[in-house]
Amino acid sequence: MYKTKSGEEIFVIDSHIHLWDGSKENQLNEYGAQFIDCFYDYHTSLSPEEYYWSRNKFYKYESDTLIHDLFVKGYVDMGIFQPVFLKEFYKDGFGNVEKNAELEEQYPGRFIGNTSFDPREGEKGLKYLEYEAKKYNIQGVKLYTAEWNGNSKGYKLTDPWAQRYLEKCRELGIRNIHVHKGPTITPLNRDAFDVADIDEAASLFTDLNFIVEHCGLPRIEDFCWIATQEKNVYAGLSVVMPFIYARPRYFAEIMGELLYWLDEDRIIFGSDYAIWEPKWLIEKFMEFELPEDIKKETKVELNLNTKKKILGENIARLYGINIEAQKERLRGDRIDRLAMQES
Amino acid sequence: MQPVQEVYSKLNMVFDPELDQSLTELNFIDHVSTDRSNVTVVFRLPTYWCSPNFAYMMAEDIRDRVLELPWVKHVNVQLKDHHASEDINYGVTNRKAFSDSFPGVSSSSELKELRRKFREKAFLARQERLMHHLIKLDFNPKMLLKLTIGEMKKKIDLLYDDLTQSLWQKYLLIRSDMNQSNGDNHPAFTRMNGEPIEPNELESYLSNSKRIRLNMEFNAHQCRGLLAARYNLQKNKEMKI
Repeated sequence: MYKTKSGEEIFVIDSHIHLWDGSKENQLNEYGAQFIDCFYDYHTSLSPEEYYWSRNKFYKYESDTLIHDLFVKGYVDMGIFQPVFLKEFYKDGFGNVEKNAELEEQYPGRFIGNTSFDPREGEKGLKYLEYEAKKYNIQGVKLYTAEWNGNSKGYKLTDPWAQRYLEKCRELGIRNIHVHKGPTITPLNRDAFDVADIDEAASLFTDLNFIVEHCGLPRIEDFCWIATQEKNVYAGLSVVMPFIYARPRYFAEIMGELLYWLDEDRIIFGSDYAIWEPKWLIEKFMEFELPEDIKKETKVELNLNTKKKILGENIARLYGINIEAQKERLRGDRIDRLAMQES
Repeated sequence: MQPVQEVYSKLNMVFDPELDQSLTELNFIDHVSTDRSNVTVVFRLPTYWCSPNFAYMMAEDIRDRVLELPWVKHVNVQLKDHHASEDINYGVTNRKAFSDSFPGVSSSSELKELRRKFREKAFLARQERLMHHLIKLDFNPKMLLKLTIGEMKKKIDLLYDDLTQSLWQKYLLIRSDMNQSNGDNHPAFTRMNGEPIEPNELESYLSNSKRIRLNMEFNAHQCRGLLAARYNLQKNKEMKI
């Protein structure tokens, strides 16, 4: 919970968190090493220096660290796991649905655990999705369309198999489709991070929500265009958020564009923890004001009301969370007590 | 000029197609060495994962630009610390097409198409950056549409301002890259196919171009930051335009 100076409470949902294992012991090959090192460069290139982690801690951190960084010092009330498995780089997977589920069990009401699928896995993958959906009560998936799989260098949401998977999501009640359209995570050479396929998928599956993570950076111009056409397309702010510190002017320009093209109900906060810590992101965001020239040019506002929507209300709607009821539910729970002790 | 300096002056003209900034500006050149008519250029990118197709374009452009120097017979281009270093270095040094170096992944027309697409983005971004800048300097937007290249040149010369001049020069360069005439009598601001921009369309035209420009600049900041983190370079201060 973030408290404003005037005492108003803001319920925060971090829509994009990870508990990963990038350690040497878990790496399968050079790719595994390079992948986590690249994340580390993202971490140090955009975090304030006082928030730098050591490389070792960054490779693998304990769930207690996560609990502390998110809920005790980071103002977060709920977090959504967006796992990436990278089975070809890491023995036991980089992210792990099972480990996430353990935390969900230990801290009821604090986490939502998503999974991922790859339509190139065909029937077998469909079955597995069904199994996971039932076992873990899955409400959302995180997709990487640029991921390599055998000879394939990526897929599109419009591919026939991808459509079958989306139909399966609909059938299983998985309504939130988070799509990583952003900086590349695996070697690619086509425009697999092109956002155009979102357009068609979103108009075919109007009852599903498409949250475009990282706003389609590095293709934000196409993303804005699609998002104006399709009302079930949302902007996930992970990776965009940390620019608030390192490049505030650009952060302001991008926020101006997003608010102009999408309106304030379709922009969603995410830290991409542990690449960046929610504490400083949220503090800076609450302090942040759009410069006058951008306000004048785009005619948009980023006031307290807008910030509340971005930090929690918008994503709460997508996951069917009643914020007032959830506050009651979490009051006095393990994490609440932990936070009290610390303060 | 020393041979290495001459090579650098050529590298100033090689651009990252996605960011529309030169490799020297971006700090992508690791080092250059020369041995009589042989030149070696070692370059580096912000991540191990940067798209091989863009890396390939940059490597090809390095080779071709440096070969323009009359004394150069052979250019050895080396991309370091990249997942596809080996294929790219071999392919470019031996003049293979991208599609031969990465069979099954891409056709030769694809890389050409990608080049064209990014040149168009660069055109729109450079034009918007210049127009945005001029409008801030109190030029009337609709009047800009009436000016010719010759008239614009005179006005810009009278400003005695390096920034305006460099934005103008970069804009002229991309116009000629896209086969648009920079003759004095041509209108200064047109669409990329040479068609006029109607005054009542100007606002939406520019806001569309602005998204493209912002996207490129945002990516450039990200890439610079990652490169600095990767190679322990000093972080750049925020650029103001």
